[in-house]
Amino acid sequence: MSHDARLAALKIELPNPAAPAANYVPTVIAGNLLFVAGQITIFNGEVRYLGKLGAGLDVETGKQAARLCGLNIISQARAALGGSLDRIKRCVKLGGFVNCTPDFIDHPQVVNGASDLMVEVFGDAGKHARFAVGAVSLPRGVAVEVDAIFEIA
Amino acid sequence: MNGMVAARLHASGLSLPPAPPPVATYVGFVTVGKLVHVAGVGPTWGPEIRHRGKVGRDLSFEQGYAAAQLTALNLLAHMEVACGGDLDRIACCVKLLCLVNTVPDFTDTQKVANGATDLLTDLFGSENRPARSTTAAPSLPFDIAFEADAVFLLH
Repeated sequence: MSHDARLAALKIELPNPAAPAANYVPTVIAGNLLFVAGQITIFNGEVRYLGKLGAGLDVETGKQAARLCGLNIISQARAALGGSLDRIKRCVKLGGFVNCTPDFIDHPQVVNGASDLMVEVFGDAGKHARFAVGAVSLPRGVAVEVDAIFEIA
Repeated sequence: MNGMVAARLHASGLSLPPAPPPVATYVGFVTVGKLVHVAGVGPTWGPEIRHRGKVGRDLSFEQGYAAAQLTALNLLAHMEVACGGDLDRIACCVKLLCLVNTVPDFTDTQKVANGATDLLTDLFGSENRPARSTTAAPSLPFDIAFEADAVFLLH
């Protein structure tokens, strides 16, 4: 099944690709690599999942936030590739930033929200290398930010 | 494990830990052409976390430096798998992201991260040093003291 067909079969609704918040572009293609800028928890203009893990937000909510970042990553990738995901060969890398308190240690579980989504949508091609890190604050006060690198055909 | 890089490692009195199993839903590395993208790793030896806590509060600078060195060894443990056991296939580390678990007033993050880059320089030569970013992190997964991810170039 193609990636586009799988996305449709999963009935996953992607947000519209958000315009960059500052002086940068959402995606850059360099040879067979597609770099996606850090995506936050925004859905068609509405910022969701504000706050900090370890101070009001629980891990499950953080995971949902990471999933929304992942949906925005896929949306940006699709826009960069002319409206189809089918040129994607592999999700290579995700970088996960978790807005959290200094004593928070469950970053991996939170960022799994994005990682699980990649495998859900791309299957084995969605298995990627990844890092996760705590952040003191994130743009617009969101709970999670994720950036990505894809290999494309 | 044979080869020049392995010999240099051995001469330094160091050995590679087992490649760390990913702690979540991801893989240890992804190879695209000649670039190997390695996942974030920490100062672990197999399942054991050897350096935990915040550098400058719970841990000394020297402990942070040692954590960075062990983290770099874990990057190389993944690379050993990526290279089919032959570290001499590595041309260089292209890019290194260093994350130091620390407190806001700690200002020596770049020196802590040298624990990783000093080792890479010893193994691969000063002409093959990576571009590096280092930042202080208010927290890291499982309270590890240091985390790094990297992109390596193969011959």
